[in-house]
Amino acid sequence: MLRDFWEARGRVGLMVTAIAVALVGVGALLVARAVITREAAAAYTSTNPAAATLDVDGGVDATLLAQVRTRPGVIDAAARQTIATRALVNGQWRRMLLFVVAPDDPMSVARFTVQSGTWPTSDDALLLERSSGTVLNAVPGGTVQIAGPNGPVTAITVAGLAYDPALAPATQERTGYGYLTPSAAQRLGFSPMADELKIVTARDPSSVDSVASDVAAWLTTTGHTVHQVQAPPYQHPHQNQTNAITGLFLAFALAALLLAAVLVAATLGGMLSAQTRQIGIMKSVGATTGQLLRMYLSATVVIAAASTAVSIGPAVLAGYGLVGLVAGLLNIDITSLALPWWVFAVLVAAGIGIPVLVALGPILRAARVSVRTALDDHGLDAATGARPIDQWLARLRGSRTLMLTLRNLTRRLGRLALTVTLLAAGGGLFTASLNASSAWQVWVDNGLARRTYDAEIQLSAPAPAGAVLEAVRGTRGVTSAEMVTTLAATPADASGQIEVQRTYPDGGHGRFSLVGLPADTGMLHLEVLQGRWLLPGDSDGVVLNQGAATRLGTPRIGDTVHLAVAGRVGTWKVLGFVAEVGGPATAYTVPEALAPYVGVGRLTGIRVAVDKEDPGAAIARVEASVAGTGAIVASTTPTSELRTAIDQHVVIFIYTLTALAVLMGIVGLLGLASSMSITVVERRGEYGIMQAIGATPGTVRRLILAEGVLSGFLGAIAGVLIGLPLSIVVGDFLGRISFGLPLPFEVSVGGVLLWLGLVVAGAVAATLTAAYRAGRLTVRETLAYQ
Amino acid sequence: MNIVSSNSALAIDVRGVSKVYPTPSGDFPALQGVDLTVRAGEFVAVVGRSGSGKTTLLNLLAGIDRPTSGEVWVAGTAVQTLGESRLAAWRGRSVGLVFQFFQLLPTLTVAENVMLPMDFCGVWGVRERRPAALALLEQVGIVEQADKLPAALSGGQQQRAAIARALATDPPVVLADEPTGNLDSATADAILELFSGLASAGKAVAMVTHERDLSGRAHRTVTLADGRVASDVAASL
Repeated sequence: MLRDFWEARGRVGLMVTAIAVALVGVGALLVARAVITREAAAAYTSTNPAAATLDVDGGVDATLLAQVRTRPGVIDAAARQTIATRALVNGQWRRMLLFVVAPDDPMSVARFTVQSGTWPTSDDALLLERSSGTVLNAVPGGTVQIAGPNGPVTAITVAGLAYDPALAPATQERTGYGYLTPSAAQRLGFSPMADELKIVTARDPSSVDSVASDVAAWLTTTGHTVHQVQAPPYQHPHQNQTNAITGLFLAFALAALLLAAVLVAATLGGMLSAQTRQIGIMKSVGATTGQLLRMYLSATVVIAAASTAVSIGPAVLAGYGLVGLVAGLLNIDITSLALPWWVFAVLVAAGIGIPVLVALGPILRAARVSVRTALDDHGLDAATGARPIDQWLARLRGSRTLMLTLRNLTRRLGRLALTVTLLAAGGGLFTASLNASSAWQVWVDNGLARRTYDAEIQLSAPAPAGAVLEAVRGTRGVTSAEMVTTLAATPADASGQIEVQRTYPDGGHGRFSLVGLPADTGMLHLEVLQGRWLLPGDSDGVVLNQGAATRLGTPRIGDTVHLAVAGRVGTWKVLGFVAEVGGPATAYTVPEALAPYVGVGRLTGIRVAVDKEDPGAAIARVEASVAGTGAIVASTTPTSELRTAIDQHVVIFIYTLTALAVLMGIVGLLGLASSMSITVVERRGEYGIMQAIGATPGTVRRLILAEGVLSGFLGAIAGVLIGLPLSIVVGDFLGRISFGLPLPFEVSVGGVLLWLGLVVAGAVAATLTAAYRAGRLTVRETLAYQ
Repeated sequence: MNIVSSNSALAIDVRGVSKVYPTPSGDFPALQGVDLTVRAGEFVAVVGRSGSGKTTLLNLLAGIDRPTSGEVWVAGTAVQTLGESRLAAWRGRSVGLVFQFFQLLPTLTVAENVMLPMDFCGVWGVRERRPAALALLEQVGIVEQADKLPAALSGGQQQRAAIARALATDPPVVLADEPTGNLDSATADAILELFSGLASAGKAVAMVTHERDLSGRAHRTVTLADGRVASDVAASL
């Protein structure tokens, strides 16, 4: 057996490589998933995040805080303030969140780790969350230009860096995070007021909601107004997406391993069928089926074990590489790369178990063959020509070499099916990932194209709409402007009970907005999925985007929903549903409907379209115009920033999916190489005959190459076809976890052509060795094989 | 039977050829100082026991193997001087090979098998190849089987197809290795008749066989023993 393996070392090498490559994928994802799940949870928990945050009108003083700590179910509490403002970075505005923490705060709740500098900082300094550096283009020792509530910008020193794994990375949110004392906030012009009551409770959601609601009710009875209660899930903001996506990828990697195992089974089958006579001879001298079974199974175990041994190191390294990428994506520190024992157990069990199980079929068939059948075996030619497909193909006319290639291709239909399946699986995933990527681009492009404004400017307080719009429209470089009023809202029920919000401290993840827009808006043209868009006079109606519809329990057209704004619960009739790219859960209504909250004829923001020549300068002029009316700009969000934020959330997943696709493609090409290697061994006699009747070694090489390329091409085409439905599945998955709606179906023509090209090139490479070997065989060698 | 004139062209000229195979137990001399000539139109049978060197000699004539020493001239070419690629092209044009187990390519029809050497060697125009193949199949008596796959033919029919293929490029030399070894006696007779006819048509035919009684079909019978020519006997006519 060992000698047979040595004789067929090329094919054994292919089998080992195929399994090892697939196992590296499986192992890397297992390692990444195990480490990230543990470390993300540990990092998030290490901040002792508040189970719930209550917005208390008028703020929480030390006395009230002490009382809250004694309420039933409250384990700990802290009073904080979060200020949403903006920072000027190289002439561009960036969203900025300032977390205000009192110097005497014990930092037992929602804590951050100081990585450089000291806390508390002086009155003219702050700490930046470490992922904010690139967004704000700031480093410790430098300054950040922060807009105050009245508009003027104040430079504040970056005293150091903080690490806060409870926040989504600043780079993805395109938001800067800073930590400062109330005195420092006051120096920037803000009124320090610890209006966020953060409480720690038992961690089960029902306890959190129940304790938070009880505290809110108690605060109300003591004369305090609670605007909203936020209780985000007890995990990193991106943990769910990470779990879901790594789970999907793990499934793909396991599929690659299964395919590699099928490759082993088929290759072993080919080797065993070449040894049929040898098996017959062994049986004729006394070998039992059981002995042969054990012998070949042992060989399979050896191959699988060798693959597993070879793959563990690279799998762990690749896994650690992926851990690093995902850790960066989640902004978490990995404190330990220790791997649980089950990672290795699963890897070894999968690496050995799956190939052995899959190979059991051909091995059983070979071991059970009767002596007579084995000794009568005449190899490949016995069946060729007698099957209906041979008769059918014999009717085709054309170039002899083409016919020879085509008909040879079908001589081992099972092997052809395997090769095509392996390549199809790789191609399916490859094209699906590129199709999904393309669909992502199209969906985001299309979604952002529906926003025909270049920037949205939010004001720190409602301002007269007429004056602001007039000033903005008269600004040089502005082509159009429109009012927008955005209010933080909270879903409520019919009784007026405010739903506990699932918003994270960054104010982005889990946010719900109530937005007032002109019914005939020329700047937002969302796709209406059901019902209709707003009409003038729809002052009691809302149109919901997909996020809002989900948050409100998927109501139907005409249903009534309740939204609380600043503690007041309003009733709204659902008019329609729209698809929206980017942005939080949003209910759209007409501006007049928001007059009770902001005042008649007032707005909280403007959307502007500007000349394309220098949009940055035009937007800066708009801000100046707004300031000229006495209104204060709270934030400016260029639409291009939205694009970056959206792409940043998904780019690593697209890359990982493509990497897996490449891995599957490699397994597929190894399958092709293995198949062609067996083919050459089986048909070497025929190659000898061809050379005996005038074929040059080059002709033989070309025939084998043509067959390999044709096999590869068939597999590639099958891959493209399989990629179509798979694209829908992947797009559905990615779209739903990202936007709450499936991505549209898109075919990446470039991706398809790239795959076809790669497979043809790969098929040439995979077949070259076999072709070269066949061409090198002398006629005597090949005829002696007969 | 035709008498072959001693003035006929020399199609095969083997001069002092030896062939030694290295084996784990030492060198094995398969042929030792063999001289042999075959003229155009001559049908020579090479006979001998198993291991006498018959197939080695045939392989040297076909350029399938190379002599350790000596010269092998076939159809005017010193075979041992050619590289693999030139050898293949030369073989396709100069030598027709017939094997014991027919060795038709199973995925090509009978006619396509015959046309394949024409493709490889570029003889006949593309459109002329099928009529030429059918003519050859007509000559060997199986034209009605032209579009069938080899698996659908009997052993005798397959050997006729193999002979037609060997003649596809109209080579001056036909070499056959035990061509009747896998056939019943009636079919074998018919095949020998075909070879005899080829020789009459001017081809040099060398046939390796273990059968000593060729019923007077071959012009000469060369007997090999232990790698040497033990006898070279002309048929008594």
